[in-house]
Amino acid sequence: MTLPTGIRRAFRLALRRPRIDEEVDNEVEFHLAMRTADLVERGYTPEAARAEAQRRFGDTKQWSMAMSELDRERAAYDRRTEWLGDLRQDLRYGVRSAIRAPLFSLLAVSTLALGIGANAAMFGVVKSVLLDALPYRDPDRLVRMYGHFAAGSDNRGPLSAGTVNDIAQRQKSFTGVASFSGLPQDAIYIDEGGPRVVKAAWVEPALFTTLGVPAALGRLLRDDDAASDTVYSIVLPHTTWHRMFSGDTAVVGRRVHLNGLPRTIVGVLPKGFVGPVAGADVYFPLSLRPALRDPIRARRSHWLSLVGRLKPGVTVDAARGEMVAIAADLAREHPRDNGGITIATVAVRDAMVGDTRRPLVVLMASAGLVLLITCANLAGALLSRTVSRRKEFAVRVALGAGRGRLVRQLLAESTVLALVGGVAGVLLAALGLRALRGLALPSLPEYAQLSLDGAALLVTAATAVATGLAFGLAPALSASRSNVQGTLRDETRGASESLGSRRVRGFLVAGQIALCVSLLAGAGLLARSLWAMTTAPLGFNAESALTFAIQLGPSYGTADSRLRFQEQFLERARALPGVSAVATTSELPTQVMNRNGFTVEGAPLPADDAQPFALYVAVSDDYFRTLGIQLEDGRTFNASDAGGPPVLVIGEAMAKRYWPKGNAVGSRLRVGPNPNAPLITVVGVVADVRNDPARMDPEPILYASIRQNPWNSPVVVVRTLGDPLAMVKPLQRELAAIDPTLPLYRPATLRDVVGNGLAGRRLPVVLMTAFGALALLLASVGVYAMFASMAAAREREFGVRVALGAGRGNIAGLVLRQGGMWLGLGLAGGALGVVAVTRLIGDLLFGVGPFDPMTLGITVSTLVACAALALVVPIRRATRADPITTLR
Amino acid sequence: MNDDSLDLLKGTLDVLVLKALTWGPRHGYAVARWIEDATRGTLQIEEGALYHALHRLEKKRWVASEWGVSETNRRAKYYTLTAAGRQQYVAQTATWARYAEAVSSALAMA
Repeated sequence: MTLPTGIRRAFRLALRRPRIDEEVDNEVEFHLAMRTADLVERGYTPEAARAEAQRRFGDTKQWSMAMSELDRERAAYDRRTEWLGDLRQDLRYGVRSAIRAPLFSLLAVSTLALGIGANAAMFGVVKSVLLDALPYRDPDRLVRMYGHFAAGSDNRGPLSAGTVNDIAQRQKSFTGVASFSGLPQDAIYIDEGGPRVVKAAWVEPALFTTLGVPAALGRLLRDDDAASDTVYSIVLPHTTWHRMFSGDTAVVGRRVHLNGLPRTIVGVLPKGFVGPVAGADVYFPLSLRPALRDPIRARRSHWLSLVGRLKPGVTVDAARGEMVAIAADLAREHPRDNGGITIATVAVRDAMVGDTRRPLVVLMASAGLVLLITCANLAGALLSRTVSRRKEFAVRVALGAGRGRLVRQLLAESTVLALVGGVAGVLLAALGLRALRGLALPSLPEYAQLSLDGAALLVTAATAVATGLAFGLAPALSASRSNVQGTLRDETRGASESLGSRRVRGFLVAGQIALCVSLLAGAGLLARSLWAMTTAPLGFNAESALTFAIQLGPSYGTADSRLRFQEQFLERARALPGVSAVATTSELPTQVMNRNGFTVEGAPLPADDAQPFALYVAVSDDYFRTLGIQLEDGRTFNASDAGGPPVLVIGEAMAKRYWPKGNAVGSRLRVGPNPNAPLITVVGVVADVRNDPARMDPEPILYASIRQNPWNSPVVVVRTLGDPLAMVKPLQRELAAIDPTLPLYRPATLRDVVGNGLAGRRLPVVLMTAFGALALLLASVGVYAMFASMAAAREREFGVRVALGAGRGNIAGLVLRQGGMWLGLGLAGGALGVVAVTRLIGDLLFGVGPFDPMTLGITVSTLVACAALALVVPIRRATRADPITTLR
Repeated sequence: MNDDSLDLLKGTLDVLVLKALTWGPRHGYAVARWIEDATRGTLQIEEGALYHALHRLEKKRWVASEWGVSETNRRAKYYTLTAAGRQQYVAQTATWARYAEAVSSALAMA
């Protein structure tokens, strides 16, 4: 029985403080009445007495107002101090109650540490990549422009010198534009330590002013540095200055030898500057004039990247519109060269972030899901704790604690837990980021510094507080709603959980399962994709093979000398014991960057008048045999090609696409933009090699012979009988025997080279799998906790049922039915989650459909298995309900 | 009220109110009556100012208030000196005595 509401209300009214104005009025009225009574006693008439009392008091209204004002200020101050005092008390109480239940607190704190830590670490990565300022002045005003070939897949291609020149003269959107060669070139640097290969980036001097970067030392490049070939000025990035010149300030003005030519260091770039050309060790001044003078190179050779700084008030979209218009004009003016090419305009950050944005967003979202599961889990745990603490709350309410106060106190308890969890989480995140640095840095933009700075800590703190409030809210509200009278009076019979609270817990568990299914499915799909990428045949044998590069210096100026060197080296290498085959190539498979346009003889020009592109590599005779690439038709290269008519070997995909009748061998094509280029005969067709492991379909590829096209930086592939890296030393000796000035660099096993190409793909898989495992663990604990407390709450009922003749099976069925409903609801929610997740990660999938039955099957069965495992203990306990003990 | 009554000196009222409460809880009217009697009507104060002083002292936590029942069986607000109020009373009394002595001796000079 409870008190009638009316009485309770009457009590509350009595407890309420009267309003300040009323009090003051009462006090003044009392005074006036007393004074009047006194005066009447002294012989005044009541009217005169009242008037005299009034006169002595003064202006009642004014004084009352002044008193009320003072009282109000006092009351406000009291409320503030009371609030603070209460908060302090709540926190103290929160800490105490956490210590009282050490096991629960430890579990809660470690769960929170994992959830918050995952978020803090991911935020650290996201912030450094997507949010931190780029190392340029007003980086938001910088854009990159790319050539977009309508026919090809390459939508971030280079531009020709002619196009760059036209853009520079016609554009009105930018205060300035500057171009640079998109790929750094290897150059030989010789000092006391011997020859070394450095990466040189050719940039127009205006690049540094466009980016808004000052010199840290000396000066940066000027236009006259590029004007003449007789002035050789170079600029060093900060890292090179430190690494190669030990940070010597006297380096400005020093002459160094690069590619055999003396160059003068004129300046050093500031620390933290990240150039648009990845990995440049030195900057050379670039002038477009020589390229513009050459009629073929001017418009047909695409090799330049372009960056521009927007004028104030011009948006990226406006600039993009102008560039598209210029591209259309150029296509009209130079249909043969610029036809089919449009210009893609992209904000610099987007250009630099590139492909990492999507995985990062996916991972941040995953970490967020883990935190949500953490919240749901702890909310469930706290709810069951609330049930067992109901008596305590009832006593407190009975002693005068307001419901608001009770809610506040429970929220303080959960916030205390969350804050402790947050601190532990930050420590975990710091450790996690250290581990991530090795895994993630190669796949992240160069400017990204993975660290937890003040902003990240602030966000983490806010996350912790929000988490505490989020998972504490449901239990706190449920505790405040409990029926005080009933709880206090009825000690044992009220022990079962209320329907509302049980439903909340059910939804929490269902939510956890849904989120967990989504995460696991996402992780599974990504893992399957990576598995498919690493296991799908690339088209060559990457095992027990060593690769390294050799840079031929300026003394190898002629094609003849380059060919002679390669033949000489191949012969010596082949003779080494432990080497079964050896070959050279211009670029390694999976790493080929060079693409050339081509025109098939007699084939009609494509409708948009643009050339198709194909990968282009120059290889030695034994290349196909060394890499295990099958010959499908015709022949590979041999000695007869030296000095003979120009020949090509092509990939199977290309042969099928352009010669569907199978007559590729013997047909002819032109390579490059020049319509008068010599016709080259296709002499062979080989099996395809997938150059991008993340793409299923092989790209068209053209192989030329080094006998006809000897590169000056050959990459050597050595098939070995034993450990590939053990062959580096003997091969170095052979190289030195031919020419001691040539450096052998970047030695690695072919397996590692291919694997590193997938490093960026591995990061999301590893992290999302970790998040998925975490989610699974949390969800299992959640399922266990719900069933355990559900079974415990109904123990008495089960006892009655057993007493009335119900079998163990019936009892187990009861528990299962109740829990199974929530499990089913969770799985249904998970199905929706999977749809959302696959939409988000669709682009990252490879060789696996978004609704891969195997992945989904494994996900669901893993989850159900874990849930079943979590069910065992509670069900056993329920079926052991002893009617004698429970009913006594 | 006679015309010789002195204008209230600043702060005098506060110390008188504190003094009035040293014997225990009193309501505002009792305080007013005590000051009237104790100064034999020398001090001419508006009683509203007296109440203002009481509330001011309460805000400073020198006195505390509570509603009770008066000798005439009416609800009245009773004021009590707090520990801080008692300290203030001692301190202000000393100050006032020094001040009065100084003024008196100055005026006593021939």
